[in-house]
Amino acid sequence: MIKTDHLSKYYSSHSHHEVRAIRDITLEITKNSFVTFKGPSGSGKTTLLNVIGTLDRPTEGKVFMYDEDITSFSDIALSRLRREKIGFIFQDFHLIPRLTSWENVSYPLIPLGVDPKKRFERARLLLERVELGDRLDHIPEELSGGQQQRVAIARALVNDPEIIIADEPTSNIDEETGEHMLKLLTELKNNGATILVATHDARFEKVADRVFKLKNGRIE
Amino acid sequence: MIHKHINLFLLATENLLRHRTKTVVVCLCIIAILSPFITAIAISEGIRAQSLVSVKEGADLYIIFDEFGRNAAIPLKYLDEIKKIFGVTKAIPRIIGRGFLQNKLAVIVGINKEDIPKSITCISGRIFENANEVVVGHELKEHFKLQIGDQFSMRGQQRKNFTVVGIFSSDSSIWGSSMILMSFNDAGELFGKQGVATDIQIHSLPGHNSEIATDLYDILQNEPYRLQDKQMIQLYFKKGFMLKEGIFTALYTVAFALGIPAILVASGFGLSERKREIGIMKATGWNTLEVLELISFEQLLISLLGATIAIVLSILWVKLFNGAFIAQFFIAEIPMLAKFTLPARFLPLPCLLSFFFAFILTMVGSIYSSWKASTESPVISMK
Ligand SMILES: Nc1ncnc2c1ncn2[C@@H]1O[C@H](COP(=O)(O)OP(=O)(O)OP(=O)(O)O)[C@@H](O)[C@H]1O
Ligand SMILES: [Mg+2]
Repeated sequence: MIKTDHLSKYYSSHSHHEVRAIRDITLEITKNSFVTFKGPSGSGKTTLLNVIGTLDRPTEGKVFMYDEDITSFSDIALSRLRREKIGFIFQDFHLIPRLTSWENVSYPLIPLGVDPKKRFERARLLLERVELGDRLDHIPEELSGGQQQRVAIARALVNDPEIIIADEPTSNIDEETGEHMLKLLTELKNNGATILVATHDARFEKVADRVFKLKNGRIE
Repeated sequence: MIHKHINLFLLATENLLRHRTKTVVVCLCIIAILSPFITAIAISEGIRAQSLVSVKEGADLYIIFDEFGRNAAIPLKYLDEIKKIFGVTKAIPRIIGRGFLQNKLAVIVGINKEDIPKSITCISGRIFENANEVVVGHELKEHFKLQIGDQFSMRGQQRKNFTVVGIFSSDSSIWGSSMILMSFNDAGELFGKQGVATDIQIHSLPGHNSEIATDLYDILQNEPYRLQDKQMIQLYFKKGFMLKEGIFTALYTVAFALGIPAILVASGFGLSERKREIGIMKATGWNTLEVLELISFEQLLISLLGATIAIVLSILWVKLFNGAFIAQFFIAEIPMLAKFTLPARFLPLPCLLSFFFAFILTMVGSIYSSWKASTESPVISMK
């Protein structure tokens, strides 16, 4: 389903000191599995998920998805892949500040030609699923960190993705909501999705089919 | 897939409302640049049209005498001979001169009543019938509070008393605004010259001008005469006009040079926010074409809005303020607020061009940065 082949990402910083965020990572994730990535801060979790999730291009190596080399995909093809297959939950939410919860959640549906009524219905359903049914018309700055996190989760699910990539989805929410979040992801997995999560949360390891440990940009 | 475009269009509208300050600033810049431009074009078109109409309705040939580079009097003794030339349908002697009504410069036109062109309408009262009756221009009427029936005296070569019997309305041509129209004989008396004209207008049958010119040479060969035809007069008009347009253009270019960067800066407002937004859109499945379509719709709407307001303002400017500050460039020596209705024509082409111009400017200000943000990796744009 997802394969990486000697994947590396280097950042050249201002001080001419090259940061090797991930190095030589080769791994395989099978369809409909639940995998987690753990490791200390700065070990490269976010970088790896971004590269796998097509949000960033690797410096070296390749990523295969559905047996296709997506590192060679054009900009338009990558957009299409994200639109049809991938749902991404960012570590720092990345909501659009001026839009309400429901508008943020349904934003990806606009270029699909879905009419506003249906967009609202879809967003409402998803927001109720993350227990934000009473915050449909709030803009991000009127929401707590955890609530923003949940809006981001709802948005990631709006296209019924087969691959869900979550970067520390529970880092901003309390234990109880975290539990709920875990349940939601397992549910999605049971419905056929493939789940990739970067997390320090030990609870995820219990349900994970596989745990990758990252250290200094390498898989241990 | 039309729904997609409708959605993007609606979203563009919402975005303009959401970023109200930016929308207003960009609109103001567009208006500031376009309004004077549209007004100037409209006035210039209006004056041009009016001048050309008056030339077109005018005579086919003009005879003037030229001595020492100035116009000289034409003795009327030639008039009968000229009238007899084959092809000449009408020969109209006129006296056109300048005189002061107290301290105000007036253009005095003396012409026989039966020779008055039919295009001279817009008169309240009537055309002169008897000696010492005159029709005065709107500007003079305003300045001296003249009314029909009023009498005034004027000094040319000798003092003469006149009675106002008609007034050109403010809608009549610009040239009529400071005109005093009187009979040929009265003008002759006023200037103290009988039996002469300042020019003779000749109306002719089509295609006879060159033969008429040959015959005129036979009649006038010992006189310092000059013959002008319609094309030449038209050319004169256009030349003088283009010069004035040139002055306006030069001044306007300066304003332009300041306005364009303003638009560019304003349409680039909130660029970093925009960039993040585009990154998020890309990360959640939008493609570059859709992003650019949205941005283009926004620019289209804002330039339509700006250009429309600019056109409306220009129309108001002309209608309510008579093109104040702009008309001066085209008609020399008129006071700040012209006392006559400016001829103005709002043609579709300049309006359309203005809109395109605004569109291109706002696009230049936004499309490149949007395209860059969109083709960058989403992670980088979202930063
Ligand atoms: N844009 C960048 N420019 C330079 N260096 C970067 C950039 N992004 C990340 N890095 C570096 O790459 C390394 C890996 O970062 P990454 O964000 O992937 O770590 P992480 O495992 O997600 O950490 P955390 O648990 O704190 O989220 C870090 O050393 C970081 O400083
Ligand atoms: Mg991280």
